[in-house]
Amino acid sequence: MTGRNRHLNRDLPETLYTPESRIRHPKQLWRDMKRDLLASRELAWRLLVRDLSSQYRQSLLGVFWAFVPPIVAAVGLTLANNADILNIGETDLPYPAYVMFSMALWQTFVESLMGPVQAVIAAKPMLARINFPREAIILSQLGQVGFNFGVKLILITVMFLWFRIPVTWTVLLAPVALIHLIALGTAIGLLLAPLGTLYEDVTRGLTLVTSAWLFFTPVIYPPPQSGLFALLVQWNPVTPLLVTVRELATTGVVSSPVHFWLASLLAMGGLLVSWLIYRIAMPFVIERISA
Amino acid sequence: MIERLTNYPVPNSPSNPWSDLPSDSSSDSSSDSRLGQPESSEIVLSVQGVSKKFCRSLKRSLFYGIQDIATELVGMRQPNPQLRYNEFWALKDVSFTLRRGEALGLVGANGSGKTTLLRIISGLIRPDTGSIWLKGRVAPLIALGAGFSPILTGRENIYANMSILGLSKSEIDARFEQVVEFAEIGDAIDAPVQSYSSGMAARLGFACAIHTDPDILLIDEVLAVGDAKFRSKCERKLAELLQNGTSFVLVSHFFQGILNTCHQGIYLSKGNLVAAGSAREIMDLYEQDLFSIKRQATRFPLALPAKTATESTGADLASIYFKDAEAELIETPVSGEPLSICARCLVRRPIQAASLFVAIYQPAKDNSLVLHLSSAYDQETFAVEAGEYELRVDLPCLGLLPGSYTLSVYVKDGSLYMLDAHESIPFTVNGSDKLNRGQYYQPRQWQISNLQISSLEE
Repeated sequence: MTGRNRHLNRDLPETLYTPESRIRHPKQLWRDMKRDLLASRELAWRLLVRDLSSQYRQSLLGVFWAFVPPIVAAVGLTLANNADILNIGETDLPYPAYVMFSMALWQTFVESLMGPVQAVIAAKPMLARINFPREAIILSQLGQVGFNFGVKLILITVMFLWFRIPVTWTVLLAPVALIHLIALGTAIGLLLAPLGTLYEDVTRGLTLVTSAWLFFTPVIYPPPQSGLFALLVQWNPVTPLLVTVRELATTGVVSSPVHFWLASLLAMGGLLVSWLIYRIAMPFVIERISA
Repeated sequence: MIERLTNYPVPNSPSNPWSDLPSDSSSDSSSDSRLGQPESSEIVLSVQGVSKKFCRSLKRSLFYGIQDIATELVGMRQPNPQLRYNEFWALKDVSFTLRRGEALGLVGANGSGKTTLLRIISGLIRPDTGSIWLKGRVAPLIALGAGFSPILTGRENIYANMSILGLSKSEIDARFEQVVEFAEIGDAIDAPVQSYSSGMAARLGFACAIHTDPDILLIDEVLAVGDAKFRSKCERKLAELLQNGTSFVLVSHFFQGILNTCHQGIYLSKGNLVAAGSAREIMDLYEQDLFSIKRQATRFPLALPAKTATESTGADLASIYFKDAEAELIETPVSGEPLSICARCLVRRPIQAASLFVAIYQPAKDNSLVLHLSSAYDQETFAVEAGEYELRVDLPCLGLLPGSYTLSVYVKDGSLYMLDAHESIPFTVNGSDKLNRGQYYQPRQWQISNLQISSLEE
């Protein structure tokens, strides 16, 4: 029997809600952020399991769908390249493998970018009714990105074996760079999530931007070496992260470590700032999405 | 900061609506048993001067949202008592406190700010002015089954839902059997929730929420889920939680629910706190206000539109009205006074057994049937020729308590053949003084006899 003693013995947490800006009490804010992040782990796992199982229970082909886009892209582009429709320079991997691997990485980036906006929109009814740690949605979303990449990893492994691509020990470092890539996507997505919940324009805009962004990232072509386009590609923060993952997984030689660390710094710093903004903005968003 | 606020709700502060209330209230006999225990007076929720503004235009509302986020981010956000264009106060300067094991009923018309208040308390949205201090876990019974996925089984959904409500896996494991048993789901627990009836899903949602062991439970109109049996089970569970020291804030249009559960009441109207006091007083006040609006709706005698010969089934109700003992028309019947409920009828053909049925319902008490009178059941029917008649039931003493009711009148041939009917006519019963406790008006006389004198006389 959970009697009155339960209430007496327990050290109950106290909460205070005021209209004052929470950013004025950064220490308290930081403490709350840490607490909620820790508290949301289990819920995030629950949500991840819930979403994945309902997703796969309603699908006959299941993980097959995770394989299809990189394969289709690789087949199409390889055909185009072989027919000299595309003029793509030498890649350090066989071209089909290059495209498939890069495409899988790019998709992981796009998922982590679109994920927060989509997840928050999908969780609207829940957000509007229950005060649970808002970090849980994002963590669960990251879990999905990880899961999807895990599925793609099967494809990548098969492909590496098929083309007999040599790997060095640096492949063990590749996940670190991959995490930075995901962090960059999440930072941007998380920053836009509150706005995207209010305005549909954000989702539409993001779809447009990511499809254009693909062409400024060395996914279907190797990094260009000269010209204005090369400069654009070079200053694209996704480039060093994506290229470094690819290099660590295959050749083991990181071509531009400085750019990699700059982009990583941007990703990590951005993630922290986005998290803060997300946290502060959500109550105002929730106020507006449900009357 | 929080430590300082622990004694924030000063009992004698003028803004404390409870401060000038009599501490005794006949409706909360349970509080007497707690008097000797110091922890019963511990405050668990303190709402001080809380206001919230909303915007009427969605587009502008979204824009204000962005504006609010921006001011919050630059740290400029302050309690702001100014309304922007197209805004209104959804809540204005509401204050109250709630103690451990106490239940507070929140009443008011739609749009009076009840749900907004609950949402601010649960931390979903932030107040524009004022502050809310609370202690312990808050469980909102606002959204039953939030996060239910129709694809997943009941079992999986229990885990997902209770996690959202803040429980860890081991805590859910410990409560799982209780939840399933309470929800009366049985074998369906491993079937997908989309195969559940709406009642089953609602029961499951309620069972999940109520088993989270909250310190403060916010209940928004959810006691209406399921059938009567489940509802009474919910009420028993709530009573049990109350005994164990959980505090409630309950929103309901169901008067009896509030009166059965709550000690204290708050009456909100258009975001303003109109009155605070014992649940009984607040419900009476609210009921009176509701009726004063409705009173204008029906003017007696109520003339009914004439029917054409083809529409008619032989006898038409022409008008419905009340008469007092002197056969004078009256608008509002009075408790304990003689009353005649009359129906003027236009009879178009001879009728063997004309009879009058009168049913009176009480909307405030779940629209329950209060009084049902039938001349046919009383073996009194009237053989009539064509013509105009007044069918009337004379009540030597009106047993209805002051309050608002609806009246339905039926004219039948025998006890089954319906000739004409008019339903749900709102009307009010007045009383000479506050007689509205109990169920009905009892005519009575008080006497005292000196037994010594009477025995001497013998």
